[in-house]
Amino acid sequence: MFNRRILSVIAFLVPLMGLLVYVAMRSGPLAPTAVTEVLVDNRAISPGLFGVGTVEARHVYVVGPSSPGRIRSVLVDVGDHVRAGQLLAEMDPVDLDARVSAGDAATGRAKNLVVSAEAKVQAARSQFELADLEMRRYEKLGASGFVSKSTVDIRREQLKAAEAQLASDFAALEAAQGDHLRLKAETGGARQQRQNVRLVATADGIVTTRMADPGTTVVAGQALLEVIDPQSIWINVRFDQVMAIGLDTGLPAKLNLRSRGDQPLPGRVVRVEPKADAITEETMAKVVFDELPAPLPPIGELAEVTVNLQSLPVTPVIPNAAVQRLGEQTGVWRIDNGKPRFVPVRLGRSDLDGWVQVVEGIKPGERIVHYSEKAISSGSRIRVVDRIPGVGT
Amino acid sequence: MAGKGIRIEGLRKRYGEGGNAVDALKSVDMYVSPGEVVGLIGPSGSGKSTLLKCLGAVIDPTAGRMTLGDDVIYDDRWKVRDLRALRRDKIGFVFQAPYLIPFLNVTDNVALLPMLAGAPNAEARAKAIELLTALDVQHRSQAMPSQLSGGEQQRVAIARGLVNRPPVILADEPTAPLDSVRAMTVIRILNDMARKFETAIIVVTHDEKIIPTFKRIYHIRDGMTHEEPGEGRKFD
Amino acid sequence: MISLAGRDILHAWGKFVFTGVGLGLLIGVTLTMAGVYRGMVDDGKVLLNNSGADLWVVQRDTLGPYAESSSLHDDIYRTILTMPGVLRASNVTYLTMQVKKADRDVRSMVVGVMAGGIGSVPGWPPYLVAGRQITRGHYEAVADIATGFRLGDRITIRRNQYAVVGLTRRMVSSGGDPMVFIPLKDAQEAQFLKDNDAIWQNRRRTEANPAFNRPGVPGLVESIDASQSSGNSVNAVLVSLQAGASPEDVAESIRRWKRLTVYTKSQMESILTGKLIATSAKQIAMFLVILAVVTAAIVAFIIYTLTIDKTREIAVLKLIGTRNRTIAAMILQQALALGGIGFAVGKISATWAAPLFPKYVLLIPQDSIIGFFVIMLICALASIIAIRMALKVDPAEAIGG
Repeated sequence: MFNRRILSVIAFLVPLMGLLVYVAMRSGPLAPTAVTEVLVDNRAISPGLFGVGTVEARHVYVVGPSSPGRIRSVLVDVGDHVRAGQLLAEMDPVDLDARVSAGDAATGRAKNLVVSAEAKVQAARSQFELADLEMRRYEKLGASGFVSKSTVDIRREQLKAAEAQLASDFAALEAAQGDHLRLKAETGGARQQRQNVRLVATADGIVTTRMADPGTTVVAGQALLEVIDPQSIWINVRFDQVMAIGLDTGLPAKLNLRSRGDQPLPGRVVRVEPKADAITEETMAKVVFDELPAPLPPIGELAEVTVNLQSLPVTPVIPNAAVQRLGEQTGVWRIDNGKPRFVPVRLGRSDLDGWVQVVEGIKPGERIVHYSEKAISSGSRIRVVDRIPGVGT
Repeated sequence: MAGKGIRIEGLRKRYGEGGNAVDALKSVDMYVSPGEVVGLIGPSGSGKSTLLKCLGAVIDPTAGRMTLGDDVIYDDRWKVRDLRALRRDKIGFVFQAPYLIPFLNVTDNVALLPMLAGAPNAEARAKAIELLTALDVQHRSQAMPSQLSGGEQQRVAIARGLVNRPPVILADEPTAPLDSVRAMTVIRILNDMARKFETAIIVVTHDEKIIPTFKRIYHIRDGMTHEEPGEGRKFD
Repeated sequence: MISLAGRDILHAWGKFVFTGVGLGLLIGVTLTMAGVYRGMVDDGKVLLNNSGADLWVVQRDTLGPYAESSSLHDDIYRTILTMPGVLRASNVTYLTMQVKKADRDVRSMVVGVMAGGIGSVPGWPPYLVAGRQITRGHYEAVADIATGFRLGDRITIRRNQYAVVGLTRRMVSSGGDPMVFIPLKDAQEAQFLKDNDAIWQNRRRTEANPAFNRPGVPGLVESIDASQSSGNSVNAVLVSLQAGASPEDVAESIRRWKRLTVYTKSQMESILTGKLIATSAKQIAMFLVILAVVTAAIVAFIIYTLTIDKTREIAVLKLIGTRNRTIAAMILQQALALGGIGFAVGKISATWAAPLFPKYVLLIPQDSIIGFFVIMLICALASIIAIRMALKVDPAEAIGG
């Protein structure tokens, strides 16, 4: 009886103490940290660049009046196809028509004035020639003494007068001609202005924006309509500058339109903008579709662009989750005899799947810590597991 | 070890002071020699319990003299310093109820006293077994008190009272709850033990069944005792 | 001499263990409470350590970015980068918000981390438990497993969807909300760009304002709309220092020359513990005191009851010559044994219950050791009442009247 009691007490106490020691050692700060390991691999990675862009048109034709006025009519609406030279809208000509007519009339009148001035010149010329003839005759007569000297002088003076008259009439003709030219030019100008109230498309395309309706008063240069060539759409992509190494024209890309998220379309980079955005620290590039998708995506839709660069040569690589910091240095925790040891490494390029090249520091085949339950330091006790406990897949 | 029994002379116990004072014991004289079993009989309120408590060194008498064996233990004041040791080593108790410690087994209940006196466990247990054997309950030595019958428990209690070989045993109504057969057994055991271990035993009782067995009886009334010879009937 | 306490316990074994287990659960609650407090402090520490920063630069005169909202221009980090002693400086945004996945949403702290080489920019999660770090500049996320998200999940933050590419553990805000890391630009948009309705309203208001909508200046309205809807603020700049640089010195020079508020790690710790969790800490401290008092009372009551049941035995023991010391020791030993069982049960139950709590519960060995000694002390003190009572028992009671 006595012994049985002792046994039952022991049967309770011993497991209790055992459990106590177990929880003390296995959980809480005394327990070893669970880590997973990975071997340094040797492979060729293909880095990729990822950016987000918007669909834009290469050329945007903004149609608007060159002088302020009122809109008389707008003949197209958003979505209409237009051809080059097609009349899109008209401004109110106001008094331009009247001015053109007035100009025409004035030009006509000026022309008549020119004709009359020409006639005058003709008359003055014949007068002059006559006076010249007279003078010669009288000079001869004067020289022979048949007429008085004063008569010769009179004729000489008459000649001068006729010359002067001719010159004057000639000048008047030139003035009339000049006037005529002026009025013609002015009328031409008014006609040109009259022409400018007709807003025509400069190229084929689709109207994307209609910004004002008939009756609205607009200022010079204000946009009325936007026309784009739908065949010329491209994507204006922004890449983080830090991750834009290797971006170049001609590289192939995958374009993921937001509305068609699951079907990436092939494309290529056609231009890397020479001017980056200093504020947002992004490099911009233009990427086109290899084949335009149908239906066309709306301008302004977002797209995710992945540019695949060429494969790099085979190098040691590690997963980026294994990269750790200790103080100033970047490195990995190598597992030496079951203990973690920090090894500084120099990293190279990385790809979009999380693999990073190792330029120096560790060799392929070495075991390094991949995931860990908590932060480890050089004195930590670790135990290598297949999967960190508590993490479901 | 047995000494010359217990002798009480002129024991007085006063409760209270001045006008309110009450003498529970006025003047008590008793003598019990080793090996003798005497009865102490008296009505309730006669001072029986008080006398027992004084004898048991549980309360302090007011005046008088008590001698245990060769040692004067009280002479108007205690002459021994450690009353507890006195109780432990020199006085054995047997009560109405066995009052065994329920969480100790039979052997340990008895061995407890020598252990308290400082004896090593093995030796104490040996002594206990010796006494249990003498009382014929050794076959229950590993049992817990709750598993024993009333008579067996009482024997264990007696064994406990005797295990330190005290010169005197105070038995307080040891047969009160028992029937006549068992009562006679107990009183016979007490007599046997008294003879064997040369212990003086004072039995406080009013049990008619056992009174005839005493050779000497002390009657106590109003705080005073007087001695009478008893019948001294033998046991059958 | 046999152990009276041991024998008594052995005899009333079931009652003792039952009482011990009950006491143990109470102690377990106490230990867990202490663990909740430690967990809160650890949340703050972990938050600061995982950011990899030595200094936090925030809006002038704020306690941000965790204790108060703070807003800075996102180009300030460039000037900080040039200051002596600074190794790295990066922008970071924090916003506590609901992150949706399918039909449920999780309260998380969304952290915007600046693009940069792996491991070279403060703010990134320092270690993962699955997946990989973010490689794309947009629409990828690394989430803490406390969110319940898994690799490959698509989660929605404001108006964009993100693919979960990596998982972390113990990346939490000081309030215990799990973190979700996304690229900084996306986070800025999430934090500072309003929902579509609000943007529409803003545009309308701008157009209706004649100061902005001038006929002679085409394009003015569009420019204003664009400027209003671009987010170029961040909540803080995280700075890591070169080896050997003194945090306080660099902080002071930034404070003076850039006129910003800068906190070192120890200052951030005291802000977090002093301001953020001070109230909770007080509550928990009060709870602990109450629990300790309750435990003491219960132990005292139990021991007292156990002793009262033994009055007669104690009287007999005294009568047959047991020393007071021995009896007191018996009671004390029982009380300590009870405390021992209670502690063991409490520590085990606390360890098993801790992971089930919604917030992090950190049980450290010091707390357990201190708890053990406190429990022993409480048991000893609580047994005094019973001991006093036991000593008062009159051995004469064993002798009937």
